[in-house]
Amino acid sequence: MNRIMEHPILGKMEDKKEVAIWVDGKILKAYEGEMIAATLLANGIKVCRYTRKRKEPRGVFCAIGRCTDCVMVVDGIPNVRTCITPVRDGMKIETQKGLGSWERSEKDDE
Amino acid sequence: MEDIIICRCEEITQREIEEAIEDGANTFNEVKRFTRCGMGLCQGRTCRVRIEKMIQEITKNLPRQGTYRQPVRPVNLGIEGDLLNE
Repeated sequence: MNRIMEHPILGKMEDKKEVAIWVDGKILKAYEGEMIAATLLANGIKVCRYTRKRKEPRGVFCAIGRCTDCVMVVDGIPNVRTCITPVRDGMKIETQKGLGSWERSEKDDE
Repeated sequence: MEDIIICRCEEITQREIEEAIEDGANTFNEVKRFTRCGMGLCQGRTCRVRIEKMIQEITKNLPRQGTYRQPVRPVNLGIEGDLLNE
């Protein structure tokens, strides 16, 4: 774990509720209210996706939801900007390859 | 140096954009239609300003402003639907 526990201006980190998210089949501990990208970086995961043409890895670039470099497949929905999407308990996140693909559930087909 | 990626979404290099400008594309919209730069997920939010600067440097003219998608912050349609339901 690699988080700022004590900040010169913001002070000590507040006690927050812990949630668990699945990232590529592994369970990670996250704090409620933080963004997915924050959890990933705190756990040492820097690669969010691989590009379409050159298959190069990409990670957090602007971190304010503009550049779309940190997009991942979240709960079967591709191209979700992880730097501005808060974590939810039991979220399933996968590394996106290229443009990603939709995972249609049976509920959607009805 | 020419292999630098300018448009991160569509992976368009500096060389490709320079070639397009030299081939006669002298506005952002024309470069966009030549190379697909600025047509990816972020809709030119990362590269538009850089490309307009490149056009200015090569053609020595201030390019006409390109068209790009509003809003500044993209949001899901679902969010708007939630607002309507409230």
